[in-house]
Amino acid sequence: MNHDFLLLLPVIIVGAGAVLLMLRAAFGKLALDSASVVCMCIFGLAFAAQACSALAGPEVPFKAAFNGMLMVTDFTRVAGLIILGCGFFTAMSSRSYFKENRFGLEEYYSLITFAAFGMLLLTMSHELMTAFISLEIMSLSIYILVGFNRRCVTCAEAVLKYLMLGAFTGGFFAMGTALIYGGLKSTKFEVIASAVATHGFLHTPALVGGAFFIIFAFLFKVAAFPFHAWVVDVYDGSSIPVTGFMATALKTAVFAIFANFLMLDPGLKGAWVTYLFYISILTMFGGNLIAIGQGSIKRMLAASGIVHTGYLLIALVAVSADRFTGSVILYYLAAYSVSTLGIFAALSYLSGAGEVRSQFEDFKGLARTRPYSAAAITIFLLSMAGIPPTAGFMGKFYVITSAIQAGQVTLAVLGIVSSILSMWYYLRLIINMYFHDAHESFESECTVFAPACTLILAVAVFAISLYPITL
Amino acid sequence: MFAEWLYFGLAALSVLGAIGLILFRHPMNGAMSFVVTLISLAGMYALLSAKLMFAVQLIVYAGAIMSLIVFIIMFLNIQESDLPEEKGRGLYLVGGVVVIAPIAMFLYKIVRTLPGGDTAIVGNGFGEVRNVGMILFKSWLLPFEIISVLLLVALIGAVVVAGKREVGK
Repeated sequence: MNHDFLLLLPVIIVGAGAVLLMLRAAFGKLALDSASVVCMCIFGLAFAAQACSALAGPEVPFKAAFNGMLMVTDFTRVAGLIILGCGFFTAMSSRSYFKENRFGLEEYYSLITFAAFGMLLLTMSHELMTAFISLEIMSLSIYILVGFNRRCVTCAEAVLKYLMLGAFTGGFFAMGTALIYGGLKSTKFEVIASAVATHGFLHTPALVGGAFFIIFAFLFKVAAFPFHAWVVDVYDGSSIPVTGFMATALKTAVFAIFANFLMLDPGLKGAWVTYLFYISILTMFGGNLIAIGQGSIKRMLAASGIVHTGYLLIALVAVSADRFTGSVILYYLAAYSVSTLGIFAALSYLSGAGEVRSQFEDFKGLARTRPYSAAAITIFLLSMAGIPPTAGFMGKFYVITSAIQAGQVTLAVLGIVSSILSMWYYLRLIINMYFHDAHESFESECTVFAPACTLILAVAVFAISLYPITL
Repeated sequence: MFAEWLYFGLAALSVLGAIGLILFRHPMNGAMSFVVTLISLAGMYALLSAKLMFAVQLIVYAGAIMSLIVFIIMFLNIQESDLPEEKGRGLYLVGGVVVIAPIAMFLYKIVRTLPGGDTAIVGNGFGEVRNVGMILFKSWLLPFEIISVLLLVALIGAVVVAGKREVGK
């Protein structure tokens, strides 16, 4: 008896759940509130299935039927857990968000589930065409979610920018796949790995060109330096829970496939390490410069997402392709996801109808009227800034330690400098919340879901920081 | 020899059609120019013995999808006065060419190293429905299956973006 079905069970649950939600929405049998509960159940169930399948070692599910196009490793399994967790908390905070912003539809939850389906497949895919289609499933769902509020103009701007640039990126990915197929007669990762191992990376020009375009597409999706300009407008235009989902789950999925692709062979990674070195530095400092100038919290968080991409690229430069576990990358992604989702969950019930409270100034004196919410936001911000004993600190600690171990001392030092710079805009919000008098009462139609979500994530920030990993 | 010249002719035609698509001001001219690209691509598939691809390209792309696009353009009834004024268009084009040029040179170098193809007719039922189906359902089952999810998401997207909504639900 093999475990193929068990390995794919989370994907199957999420896919079937998405179709179920879609059908229920189509027949109007489901109220918006119960749709969010169903969505949470689907994610919870899939999370449990993913967490329970403690099978060791890399496995290829349905090798004969799927022709070895999927591969499940510990790395993809943990990445899947992060994605499913992000989906769960997004569904939870969306429920409160749609109480005040009444443009929610049942299809919204179906699309979140479909996006997670694409992301899970993306982390597992071990072949470029499969990766491309999963990437498009994920992106297409996210485009629709970004443009979900049809009445808002910034929303339309965001979806237009994201759709156009995303379509370009998809085109580049497809072109890279075609070039690799032209050079190697296969798009499977194992064929690419063995070709690089036997002849070296630079032997086949089509492979070099193909890898260039594919890495270009990944760098765009994670918003690394030359391709980061879209992030601020897109994150600003989409509704708060969607922004949180995009910032965390999408980044996790793309980083997982990016790492899987780059770590196929030391030769492939070795050829890219120098470029990634400079890209990571420019991403960190470029993101910091953008974030310092922002007056709106969502835009600041978008820009700080660019900075976190920079840290993740440091981790990618530092890990060795020989014995790749990716634990540093996953730890950082988990720590970052928890704090980012937490702050977006808090914003989704604090911003009020139509997201009226969006600037730093709007949150003056939050600590006087809603001390617990302010405390939770402070925890998340400190975690993002990297203050002990939060998960964000441990994540940065592991990233910088692994950079030093890999001999990348320059990167480690610049990472610390960038982290100090980032204090500026994280502390700015904390100062606004604590050292001013309140002008308003921050009342919201109280539903328990988003506050509960914030509480759980605030606890998780400390819980994750206690979890040890080996470098 | 003739087939090779035909191939290059079709390749040039498809690029010209694509250039026309972005340069024509009126959407209808652009759409017509795009038809040229699609049909010359179909010709290229035929020269490479991909019979099924040839037929599908003509029926689905040049036939169904293009007529839908043309239908929508006619439905919107776009006049010359509806078109936006595009100032500095030439400058954008020049800038775009400058940016694209290094990538094009890079691509040209790569493509030259690829092994050359042959326009001779491949036998053994290559490119026929049966053989394409065998490969599709044997080696490429997973991508084929998940493409259905992609289409489903696109369908939901169309409903969500364009469908009727009850306000204040």
